[in-house]
Amino acid sequence: MLDTTSFIRITKTGFSNFTRNWLLSAAAVLVMTITLIIFAVLALLFSVSNYSVKAIQERVDISVYMKKGLAEDRILDIKRSFEQDPLVREAVYISAQVALEDFRARHSEDRQIISALNEVDENPLLATLRIKARNLEDYPQIAENISSGAQSAFIEKLNYNDNRAVIDRLAKILSIIVSVGVGLVAIFSAIAVLVLFNTLRLTIYNRREEVEIMRLVGATNWYIRGPFVAESIMYSLAATLATAVLLVPIYTKVLPQIAGFVGGPGLSASGLLPIWVLLVGLLAAALVLSIISTLLAIRKYLKI
Amino acid sequence: MIKFIGVTKYYGTTKALDKVNLEIGQAEFISLVGLSGAGKSTLLKLIIGEEKADEGKILIDNIDIAAIHKSDIPYLRRKIGVVFQDMKLLPKRTAFENVAFAMEVCGLPVQKIQKDVPKILELVGLLHKAANFPDEMSGGEKQRVAIARALAHRPVLLLADEPTGNLDEVNANEVLELLLKINKLGTTVILATHASDLVNKIKRRVITMEDGRITQEQERGKYKL
Repeated sequence: MLDTTSFIRITKTGFSNFTRNWLLSAAAVLVMTITLIIFAVLALLFSVSNYSVKAIQERVDISVYMKKGLAEDRILDIKRSFEQDPLVREAVYISAQVALEDFRARHSEDRQIISALNEVDENPLLATLRIKARNLEDYPQIAENISSGAQSAFIEKLNYNDNRAVIDRLAKILSIIVSVGVGLVAIFSAIAVLVLFNTLRLTIYNRREEVEIMRLVGATNWYIRGPFVAESIMYSLAATLATAVLLVPIYTKVLPQIAGFVGGPGLSASGLLPIWVLLVGLLAAALVLSIISTLLAIRKYLKI
Repeated sequence: MIKFIGVTKYYGTTKALDKVNLEIGQAEFISLVGLSGAGKSTLLKLIIGEEKADEGKILIDNIDIAAIHKSDIPYLRRKIGVVFQDMKLLPKRTAFENVAFAMEVCGLPVQKIQKDVPKILELVGLLHKAANFPDEMSGGEKQRVAIARALAHRPVLLLADEPTGNLDEVNANEVLELLLKINKLGTTVILATHASDLVNKIKRRVITMEDGRITQEQERGKYKL
């Protein structure tokens, strides 16, 4: 569509417009930077909360303690029946023996407990089915299904209620963050498009004579659009760079602490959105917004 | 070279051209005369594809311009030079740069631009003003720069819409002489104007328009209304 000579000319013109109208360019870059920062903050907020919910979710399950003396075959039947519930991701069988070994291993330092265990002749622990849901919200329903189901006669105890309030609250917060975030992103995208659209309309208006002459002497529409598109690409690059300068320290200093706090020891920021993904995403968003604004703004001047 | 066959053009409900039939041959010099609003500018706009005819056909070298795809219109315009009353020069560019601009935006290489622009400026008699800005030139000189720009693509057709409208008699005569010279070199020229004395002087084919219609055609005409 364009040869090298035209490409170089377009880029040069775009760059000289960008630097010559530097006040206008600064305004456009500033608005775009603010929009990108809002995008980034929302993306991070979403990522951190999503991460913390996941971290907590991983530690959440329903422990179904089976009645004492139930045959292992029977328990495995029950496990299979639980797994048929579409809400259930998995059911893990922990035999009384394994549970005891785990317990001993966990408390190997605690002599009192170990000696108390040695006092008892038989294994005091019960066989357990540990159930994980596909979705956090489904735990109450799964618990309900189990305790009212056909197998409830074989169940000694169901340990789940303790975490319910916390999980509920987290799920609610997450869904609020998502809906508020989507709304904010939409509003700020619209503002950014409007401001960029008007900035570019001003630059195009300043150069309307040039555009008119270009049309008259037979410049193609893409040649006429070119310098303006190049200019808006420069806005996008400058704004992404400015955002990156602000984001990188936050990312390297602050986030690992938050991640450590939320995820507990042994978990790092690696579960979060990697910074390059975020920056590439921001650059893509900036390019989409600015190119849409340019093409809208110049349409009026390209009437054939 | 150019044929108008029953061409009608509306602006809203106003009829700007009314069933115009016209034929213009290669290397002709045509004066298109008439009052403001007679349809002269509309006719020129239709030729460069800036407006579309509502009825009828316009053929340039037997090509129906309605059939030219929108993206090919720029290539049509490279075959046609246009000059306006208000010149439309870029004030921050020199005479040389104004002419070069037309070639740059069409992707011509730098070497060709450097070689051709002085020749064109010489043709319009302004090589000595190549480095001057439009503000440093007289009205006639500016119009000659505009003509030089219109010639940058060696067009087969030059449209001049009231090119002398803002000029005094001396300058107007200079511009007219230049248009005649260009015509002599083989370019078809269509000159739309009110300037009766100029039209009478050149004694070429005159087409008179009134209310969107061609009311008179004379081979060696005079301006009559």
